[in-house]
Amino acid sequence: MSLQLLFKALLRRKVVTLLLLLQLALTLALLANSLLLASQTRAKLNEPTGLDLPHILQVQLKPTTNDLRAQPLLTDLLERQLAAVRTLTGVKAVAYANQGPILQGGNQGNLFDPNDPDRTNVPAIPAYHVSPDFFAALGLKLLEGQLPQTPVAVDGRVRSPLVLTRSLAEKLFPNRSAVGLMTNHASVAAVVEDFFGHKMATDQWYNRIQVAPLLGVDWGYALLINTDTGATERIRQQLPDVLREVDANIEIFYVRSLQEQHQRLYRDEFGLATLLAILTGLMLLVAMVSSYSNAHFNALQQQQDIGIKRALGASKNLIFIELLCENWLTTALGVLLGLLCAFALNQQLATVISMPPLQLWLPLCTTIVLICCVTLATWYPARIATQVAPATATKTM
Amino acid sequence: MEQFLYYLKVSFTSIKRAPLPYALTILILSLGIGVFFANATLYYQLNSDPLPHKSDKLFFPMTRMMPHQCHDCPPPRILSYVNVQKLSATEIPTAKAAMYSTDGYLRLDSTKAPTPVSVRLTQPDFFRMFDVPMLHGSVWQDAKARQELILAKQMAEKIFGRSNVVGEKVLLDDRYYTVIGVLDDWRMLPRLYDANNHNYVEDTEQVFMPLETGYDYNYLSNTQSHTMDDTDFRQLATQGRTGALHQLQFWVQLDSPQQQQSYRQFMANLVAAEQKAGRHPSMPNNQLIPMRDIIQYFGGGSADIKAFALVTLLFLGVCLLNASHLSLNRYLSNQYEFSLRRALGASRLQLQQQILADVLLMTLCCALCGMGIAWGGIELLNYLWPANRLFGRWDPTLVAALFVLTLSASYLVTLYPSLRASFGGLNQQLKE
Repeated sequence: MSLQLLFKALLRRKVVTLLLLLQLALTLALLANSLLLASQTRAKLNEPTGLDLPHILQVQLKPTTNDLRAQPLLTDLLERQLAAVRTLTGVKAVAYANQGPILQGGNQGNLFDPNDPDRTNVPAIPAYHVSPDFFAALGLKLLEGQLPQTPVAVDGRVRSPLVLTRSLAEKLFPNRSAVGLMTNHASVAAVVEDFFGHKMATDQWYNRIQVAPLLGVDWGYALLINTDTGATERIRQQLPDVLREVDANIEIFYVRSLQEQHQRLYRDEFGLATLLAILTGLMLLVAMVSSYSNAHFNALQQQQDIGIKRALGASKNLIFIELLCENWLTTALGVLLGLLCAFALNQQLATVISMPPLQLWLPLCTTIVLICCVTLATWYPARIATQVAPATATKTM
Repeated sequence: MEQFLYYLKVSFTSIKRAPLPYALTILILSLGIGVFFANATLYYQLNSDPLPHKSDKLFFPMTRMMPHQCHDCPPPRILSYVNVQKLSATEIPTAKAAMYSTDGYLRLDSTKAPTPVSVRLTQPDFFRMFDVPMLHGSVWQDAKARQELILAKQMAEKIFGRSNVVGEKVLLDDRYYTVIGVLDDWRMLPRLYDANNHNYVEDTEQVFMPLETGYDYNYLSNTQSHTMDDTDFRQLATQGRTGALHQLQFWVQLDSPQQQQSYRQFMANLVAAEQKAGRHPSMPNNQLIPMRDIIQYFGGGSADIKAFALVTLLFLGVCLLNASHLSLNRYLSNQYEFSLRRALGASRLQLQQQILADVLLMTLCCALCGMGIAWGGIELLNYLWPANRLFGRWDPTLVAALFVLTLSASYLVTLYPSLRASFGGLNQQLKE
């Protein structure tokens, strides 16, 4: 089988071949970029958060009356809610917080070392006002210092001390212990292990926490519940009723595990990756239809030629391989064009969304997928073509 | 007409002879059009202009009037009460309104279950500037604080069971208010008067309260608020009115280029005077953004939809190529029939008319299938991107665009095969 003859066969059907080449090229480009985006989303969903995501529940809620949203009734309500949740079997720890972790954005502020404000000022740091059990509820490891045990008002004469995450402490006070040092807000009481705070913060690992009563909950608040393995779902079902029994004047926005919260955080990226995956599947289907139709039509057109070849002694397998080779050659040419399209599409997408550059191995892998699909689509019409009896095919000559 | 029916009959006969290639062509073309149209619907609606007759006359003024020094930061996207007072202290604009939104719980009285509502706290000109239709009653006479609310029609019906509730009392959180007006059906999409932080994809509010009342009762913004000094956000009625607590949107209506120029000059003079008084140390950076450009200015366009639009356009291209390929094969198979008709005296024009009948038939099939696929696609997009759920709707312009797109696509995929069938060498074709 000569490559030259195969090229000649393709050139005989210039328009059809060109249409097929363009389709294959675009399919490869989309396939490679979809895989890249899907792997990027998967990496984001699997990134470390420093939290035991499946076993920590978050209830987001808000009192429906003004009195309950302000002190002193608010603290009383919170105490009653925490006490009620603690009675549930399987609850390891429960705490209130003005906001939960793993959010897009929320309550943030800046922080700096007053001795070196210009160099150390870090804007947009999530600011948590929490009850003492917050650290146990999130399962955070204490690295140094002592965790505050009593809520102290953040706006009082004596400010509630700060607990910083490790990355933030290192940023503000490099190469020394942060414990006991002053910031522009309050002194540092302790440093805990990093956890994922806000996606839109200066750094997702930067968090500052103060054990303090909530000033007001016009934006709602969160209850964070650390549960035993196996008890999470049961507790989740019980929580709405338990909290409404404490006080019916509340609106519960949602009860979610932090795992779900994390998935929701990347919902848009996940959505785009899913859509591209579906579109890629459709494109492969379209490419297979095209290859099938091309092979089928060619086989019909070449029926006489095949008959002559068979009459001259060509085996069925040889004819079969020849037809497959024609399609493989088209696919190979399409792939070459597709590589250029893939890099061009990658650059175009990168101007719109956050996307890493395409590595060469990805188009190579997608080439294999494309060749498999094309082979599968060509198989049946090629097999049928080999069944042509030489006598029938040459009858009209 | 008779001739056209004959052409349609011939088309049907041709389809019946080889239904699979035809079905595949329809399927592929419908897929391409449907997928493209589903995303195009969202893209079109998200970028549509809700007030085309005046969106170039409504402006969001922004200045870098803030207590700290900043050389390269843009003007704040939300304004403080005191800055709004300064920016509205002129008669240049035809209308002006400051606003923000909050959450509340509405009920008839304390014995009823509360209904969570989104509240817009604003000034009377809001309703005039954004063409908000009134069904019953009227808006507030002036911008002063008062215990009066305006309800959306659906909310009035939900709470009272009827729409004409002017003069009735209603409980919002812990205070009673008098309803002075009810809006007619109204929805502004995208909600451009509050475009910061992707808020333009949200639905319009159901309750409207005077801005001053909101400040008096310490209602905080439910979207974004930013304190640039030591203002206590719990003291909105006092410190919130004097400190650098930013949470407001502010719009002015400037109908003519002269008005716009005058207002720009007013802003420049204001900022210069403020700097002279030593209140705002940053270099001036005044912006007067027209409403139609506000999403772009805030950088809030949906990147995912743009990226997907690019990809669906490529997919449509692939489907067009594929359908052309299938169509070419189909016409080449029927080549002998075309040639025979030409040999028997049919003119090329008549053959083209026959092909036009094919195109119309294909357009009808593809438009119907494409609409079905687009509907499914929009449902999927709403599921995966629920934030845009309000924008997955069709209007007559979009449906007409779908038909034009389908007709063009059908003609395009038939163009080359039809030319080849009609204009090829007759002898050669008959010999083949």
